Amino acid sequence: MDDYFSIDAILAENQRVGCRFKIDIADMGHLGGGGERDITRSNTLQLPIWLVYTVVLSDWADMIMPPAFGSKVRNALKADPCSVRLSGLVGAGGLWYVFGKTIMEILDKKQEMSDLLTNTFRKRLVQVIDQAQHFNALGPAGGVGPGGDSAQSFREGLDGTERELFALAQEGAKRMKRWYEESDRGRR
Amino acid sequence: MSLPHTLRASVTPPELELIACQQLVDIVPLIAMEKTAFISGAYGPLRPPHKARIPLWMAVTLKQKKKCHILAPEWLTVEYLQLKLTQETTQAEFTKLPFRFAELSRVMLDVASDDLQNPDKLRSLLQDLREARQAKARAGLENLEHSALGLSNLSAMEINEIRPFFIEAMAILGRLQPGA
Repeated sequence: MDDYFSIDAILAENQRVGCRFKIDIADMGHLGGGGERDITRSNTLQLPIWLVYTVVLSDWADMIMPPAFGSKVRNALKADPCSVRLSGLVGAGGLWYVFGKTIMEILDKKQEMSDLLTNTFRKRLVQVIDQAQHFNALGPAGGVGPGGDSAQSFREGLDGTERELFALAQEGAKRMKRWYEESDRGRR
Repeated sequence: MSLPHTLRASVTPPELELIACQQLVDIVPLIAMEKTAFISGAYGPLRPPHKARIPLWMAVTLKQKKKCHILAPEWLTVEYLQLKLTQETTQAEFTKLPFRFAELSRVMLDVASDDLQNPDKLRSLLQDLREARQAKARAGLENLEHSALGLSNLSAMEINEIRPFFIEAMAILGRLQPGA
């Protein structure tokens, strides 16, 4: 997930985070993609996250918590982790956990962020695995039935990391099923 | 690695079955055979109607040629499995079963169901056991930690089934720790 060679980690860094500058920097206005020439104090720019590290750690700017981890999302996660569509919170690929991990490294209060991510992951995990094993029984077109709508919306809201887990569990369940059914006729 | 992606996560159920077929079972042979050396060891002699201990793969081959009866192991009986099922549904932890019971029972029920008493009941009991244990493994998932996992008495097939995503989930939890 945060391996040097991990494509996911690279993709997760392809995010812009708002930063409020504390100092004036001349001739660097292009960083935010705007037309202004200089960065002035208390200016807010959307910077790519790999640049945010340097800017925040050098104490040139404060990071503004991205909306994907804002209080609105936090409260929703506290209420019911399974009803939040994580994939929609961050851009393409929907790597919410990896993005959160990256943000965590910049923050001072690492533990709080870690707890948020860990709790969310753990609460959703059971549902992810359940659906992966269940999905199999329903067949490729499945997912429609009693409660099918909420299950489907949960699946669509899966973060990229959870998606991989889903695929793993699904593959495993498929193999078990095949073995249990095949050995019936294989030997006679 | 040149292995296809699906085979990297863990071994497959047929591979586990192959491993389980190395285990010794008791048979009553219907043919006579001298002690014979195989790569895995020497087995025999077979002298009907005396019992003999041979590996399951050999018993399966003989059985298919109608040259032996396989004797059910003491755990593959309706009474024993019924008892285990009761334990399984009343206790919080997994009950102790032979490590490869899923594979062994499967092979024996397929090949030698006429040597077993009440094979249909056995099948349904095994199915119930499997479901009860799966529910417990699922409960274990809720309390997953990044560092350790304790699910004792889990059988080979069950470990293999949950291995890929438990490992991955634990790795993710580990990376979500601060300073990891």
